[in-house]
Amino acid sequence: MSDGRAAGPAALLVPDAIRLHERAAGKADAIRACGEVLVATGAVAPEYVPAMLEREESVSTYIGEGVAIPHATLAGKAAVRRDALCFLRFPDGVDWDGETVTVCIGIAAVGDGHLDILAELAQILLDPERAAALREATTPDRVLAMLTPAPEDDPTGPDDGAAPAERGER
Amino acid sequence: MTTIDGANVRKLVIACDAGMGSSAMLAGTVRKQLAAKGVTVEHTPVAQIPADADLVLTHAGLADRARGVAGDIPVVPFQLFLGDPAVTKVVAAIQQGTTVDV
Repeated sequence: MSDGRAAGPAALLVPDAIRLHERAAGKADAIRACGEVLVATGAVAPEYVPAMLEREESVSTYIGEGVAIPHATLAGKAAVRRDALCFLRFPDGVDWDGETVTVCIGIAAVGDGHLDILAELAQILLDPERAAALREATTPDRVLAMLTPAPEDDPTGPDDGAAPAERGER
Repeated sequence: MTTIDGANVRKLVIACDAGMGSSAMLAGTVRKQLAAKGVTVEHTPVAQIPADADLVLTHAGLADRARGVAGDIPVVPFQLFLGDPAVTKVVAAIQQGTTVDV
């Protein structure tokens, strides 16, 4: 309803950017595939893709439980057209410096609108059963549902005020 | 080795390269954990670590760059974006107001 906040999960992760049956020969190939989906869905200009590969060389974006979150360096931000995510699943796994990655969540962002989804992702990955369910999700709807924060779980909260709005004004 | 007094940490910064991915995710998790203590948790690019930070967490691969920017502010490196023992120790010290050696 309120338009003040950044786009919700469904706008950040469009169905076309959820690809559940990908294959990649290796880490670089998987990152390029993420970049290509972000380009194809209009989130970034093509220059974003090499910046994703560059970022991976400095610090791996592997975050655990078979999930990596490739994104660009600071320099790559100029190529972002709209904040967006993509979700690529590699059922056969991709070797990621010795780890096996099944899910790549590519990120393109200049704002903070995607942080709710990342916070939800962190919660999922800290729970091995939910992490397995995310790796095995076979429909875009399921993926989106899992990554959408529950309303009561909203990490940003309604405001910064000290007092809860129990019975604020009369 | 530096000793950090968790009771004195009011602003914790998680630094990474672009501030859009892994550090942002960690910041979201830590922010939730420290919300009750009123600690400000920010994520910034390494080059933009604010001077009023009390403590900086950063990936080990970026620690040297972070120290160059942070000056006297303690920098705690970590390896894992989820469940890293160094991060867990720091968060516990802040939650409990105890000291931690880093």
